[in-house]
Amino acid sequence: MRGPDEKRMRSARPWLVLVIVGAVIGIVFAGISSYDFVQHLDRQVHSLHCSFIPGGTHAGTDSGCQAAMMSSYSSVFRTKLWGGLPISLPAMSVFAFLLFYAVDLLVTRRKDDRRATGFLALATALPALASAIMLTISLTKLGTVCKLCVCIYTASALCAIGAIVLWRRAVALGGVVMLRAKPRKRPEGSDPAWTSSAAEPESVSEPVRAASAPAASMGFLGAMFAVGCVFVAVPVILYFAMAPDHSHFVGTCEALPKPDDTYGIMVPLGTHAASAAPAIEILDPLCPACKAFEERLDKAGMAEDLDRKAVLFPLDNTCNWMVTEATHPGSCTVSEAILCAQQKGRAADVIAWAFDVQDRVRAEAKTDPTAAARLVKERFPELATCVGSPEAKARLNKSMRWVVANNIRVLTPQLYIDKVKLCDEDVDLGLEYTLSVMLDRHAHHTLVPATAEHP
Amino acid sequence: MIAVRIAVLLALLAVPASLTGIWIRGADARLAETAPGEAAPVASASDVGYCNPELKRILRRVLLSCGLAGGSEARGCQPVQAKNVATMSGHDFNALFKPMKDRGGIVQFDKDKSELDAADLALVDQVFADQRGASWFFVVSRASPEGAVEHNRDLSKARAEAVMSHLHDQFKDPDLDKEVGMLWLGAEFAQLETEFCAWKRSAGGTCGGDEINRSAFIAWIDCQL
Repeated sequence: MRGPDEKRMRSARPWLVLVIVGAVIGIVFAGISSYDFVQHLDRQVHSLHCSFIPGGTHAGTDSGCQAAMMSSYSSVFRTKLWGGLPISLPAMSVFAFLLFYAVDLLVTRRKDDRRATGFLALATALPALASAIMLTISLTKLGTVCKLCVCIYTASALCAIGAIVLWRRAVALGGVVMLRAKPRKRPEGSDPAWTSSAAEPESVSEPVRAASAPAASMGFLGAMFAVGCVFVAVPVILYFAMAPDHSHFVGTCEALPKPDDTYGIMVPLGTHAASAAPAIEILDPLCPACKAFEERLDKAGMAEDLDRKAVLFPLDNTCNWMVTEATHPGSCTVSEAILCAQQKGRAADVIAWAFDVQDRVRAEAKTDPTAAARLVKERFPELATCVGSPEAKARLNKSMRWVVANNIRVLTPQLYIDKVKLCDEDVDLGLEYTLSVMLDRHAHHTLVPATAEHP
Repeated sequence: MIAVRIAVLLALLAVPASLTGIWIRGADARLAETAPGEAAPVASASDVGYCNPELKRILRRVLLSCGLAGGSEARGCQPVQAKNVATMSGHDFNALFKPMKDRGGIVQFDKDKSELDAADLALVDQVFADQRGASWFFVVSRASPEGAVEHNRDLSKARAEAVMSHLHDQFKDPDLDKEVGMLWLGAEFAQLETEFCAWKRSAGGTCGGDEINRSAFIAWIDCQL
């Protein structure tokens, strides 16, 4: 005859299965996320997996998955390693460990051991806490949520729920058992984790006792913690050891043959430290990538290390003969406004405003060619007489002539540090690493301009 | 039991470890093999459709002979020089500039005058500010046939220099001397036909053969040489 204790012990299994299912889901989706990240180590553009179905549809460049992966929150040690270490990699390891530990509890029949299950609950708290933090960052900083991440958050939640219920059950059950427990000698040849402090319930019936296992000792838990650390450490160490060395790409892109500001068209950008390296940024004030680049630079904390000057290069065929259409409508007018404001010491204000309202300006200028001028003059009435004037147009033209003289590609943004270009492949994931290398070389006077490859 | 547990441990540890290794090796191999991808075009000056070899040949000769290219200290071409370097009739010479109608204008002067009035200045500023990708700015000044040949030469030269002087004052462009080509033709060579009256002009009213030639033709030329 089966008693109430046996029923309670039996009901532990579904919760353990829930942990196992959560861990498997976590491994799969953290694995896909890691795979997508590692793909980019070849410096090429890759589409990302972005689906609730493993390996499902790929995402476009504006998906939440893209935003999440390209953000500075997707990896750590970004100045030490190109792209950094993707946090999904240790996440995959943690889920693998949780799976191992849950299976171990099943195999060793410790699913009712309050210490062992307590350790499981504690272990699942790590991905749960990390998921909560990452979800908060996604919502508050990125303004989007990636599907792969949602699957990982869900996996973390499943693991945490299963483990906590399991642990609370074991505590409740263990409380009853402990009252009736007596010390028992460790049998020969038994599991080393068996301890003299393990208790055997006096009054539990024989079938139930057979389903139980000795309580986990502190040594056992310590060993499991070490195993968990190994699970995380091995892939991380492998990643650091095997990741391609991208430092040899520094200096292999274009250089500036005529960097001097002979036309007086460069606009200072931001503040910088006294020892900052001289840098020139090719900037379109209505270019979303330029805005994103500025934000990445700020988040990386490296803007202060660069004495940046912007050369305005609007990708708008109203003034730029090198583009066949207005990629960023209104950009010529806003660029003129920046040059006009520079003479009044307010260029930074106009650039900041342009970044803030660039979506609106582009949208309105697309249908109304006068919209950009109207918006500029509404916000900066003091520039009204300058914007659109022959002098302003001529200055902007000189800015583009500077671009021509330096054989610069028709692309924004581009950054040159001490005449050496930050390669286009390095402006996203590899930004912090490559900038660190370039700044370090600049400090040691070894940042060498590449030979110009253009005629 | 222990063996089973160790096997499970190793199997699950191998999952992240081996995947990491495989993925990184793959990326590393692609990194070594990948040829440079299609890059964005390089910024360049304009070279539009009307820049045919004939026009470029004439431009090159004018620019060399009139001091813009080749580091010569000479500034501007006189009528005889212009006639020689152009090696073509006045009509054909003028025809070269017809495709630049949207890129140029005609500054009209009062009879026997070389001073720029407000409308002239506005037109010069407007045309010059609209450089876009052009590399060369031409100022081709003339005089109407009344008056002596020498006087007309001097008058047309004064008209070209008035434009150039204003450009210097107004735009303070360090490239000005390298990109502005001046030709003064007096009334001897390539008088403008009245069809040029349809161009952007600084004066309204009557536009006949005399009026259109008391002028400085200004235009950006979107050709690379």
